[in-house]
Amino acid sequence: MNLSAESATPPAITVSNLTVTKGEQIICQIRNATIDRGSTVGITGPNGSGKSTLMRVLAGLETDFQGTCKVAFPLSDRVFVHQSPYLFSGTVLANVEYGLRARSVSKSSRRELAELWMARFGIEHLADRSVSSLSGGEGRRTALARACVLKPGLLLLDEPLADLDTAGAECVLAALHELSESTIVISSPTALAKELAPQLIQIGQ
Amino acid sequence: MIREGIQEALKLLLRLDEAVIDAAMRSLWVSIVAVVVAATLGIAIGLLLARKRFAGRSAVVVMFRVGMSVPTVLIGLLCYGLLSRRGALGEFELLYTTWAIVLGEFFLALPIVVTLTHGAISRLDRRVFETAMTLGAGTVLRSMTYLREARLVIMLAVLTAFSRCFTELGIAMMVGGNIPGRTRTLTTATALETARGEFASGVAMSLILLTIALLVTLIIALLSRRTGEAEL
Repeated sequence: MNLSAESATPPAITVSNLTVTKGEQIICQIRNATIDRGSTVGITGPNGSGKSTLMRVLAGLETDFQGTCKVAFPLSDRVFVHQSPYLFSGTVLANVEYGLRARSVSKSSRRELAELWMARFGIEHLADRSVSSLSGGEGRRTALARACVLKPGLLLLDEPLADLDTAGAECVLAALHELSESTIVISSPTALAKELAPQLIQIGQ
Repeated sequence: MIREGIQEALKLLLRLDEAVIDAAMRSLWVSIVAVVVAATLGIAIGLLLARKRFAGRSAVVVMFRVGMSVPTVLIGLLCYGLLSRRGALGEFELLYTTWAIVLGEFFLALPIVVTLTHGAISRLDRRVFETAMTLGAGTVLRSMTYLREARLVIMLAVLTAFSRCFTELGIAMMVGGNIPGRTRTLTTATALETARGEFASGVAMSLILLTIALLVTLIIALLSRRTGEAEL
């Protein structure tokens, strides 16, 4: 399988003969794929085709694989949002500020940035709410805001539209447009809207 | 006999009998100091064992697990060996002081805190570690995050350790010596008073022990329920 999101710019991600196995079973296999810097690319394929595994490889969370996977961003500049995101216990605000705190951003800037991105995801009114009381969609928006606020070089979103209603999906679309400098990879079991991911890579066929 | 003992015990407690209060305060002080030190060190060791891979790690984990079931008299005996004149710590002349009991109870509490903290961190959802990592958290923030996510079980560990220390007899008897006004604790006093036929005093001490043990058990039960809810 030779997959690529065609562009003239030098690739941010190059995957070659990638195979990930669990025991005897191959759970992800891709012959060739390239993704360009600054592009937004959708990875689609049926359930069990290895989308999440590929995302984990790109995030640096899965290191036991055969083949080559070159990512032009250091681990510190890659942010991955799980298919079922984990929110740390505490408030929505504390979660959105988490990565900024890790990067030693000052308290006032942290607050300002977190409020901006919470507003973009339509969750500013939930800032002081405990994450344990959030709905699935609110939790997902919190996790996406927590990732996007960092403006990473490579943003990996594993099925980000699950649990979201139309308004939520529109929020995600609008928020991702704000990350024009980031390379964004979005996995989805179904075809993604052209405005969300102009380029598509299909795997598992 | 028990009814009379309880009546007498209540009288002793109501008039705040000096010997009973002295033993109770000493028991509390010794247990709290031992558990605070054991928790500080034990939580760090438990976290390290759960997250770092190094040669002999499994052996260390097993050693702490075994340490949880070592009888208190044996800990008392080892501490006695350490603190006696010819022991490694003999020069500090700590034998038959409250610090000797603190040391023994520290060795009693440490394996409990280490083992339960290790278990709590190891059982955390994989996404906790991955999310902290992918959001760029450094070692300190990551460690704080893991401890925060496992805090209920860690609090349970500390309370369990306190409960064990507060109610143990072997260590206090062997390295404390049950000296009135100096090293007498609730458990050693209970044993002595009962042996002397002072049943009421023994029951009074036991009532305090029982009340505090029940209080700790109640907190543990409440925390366990919250932990259970959190895991659902």
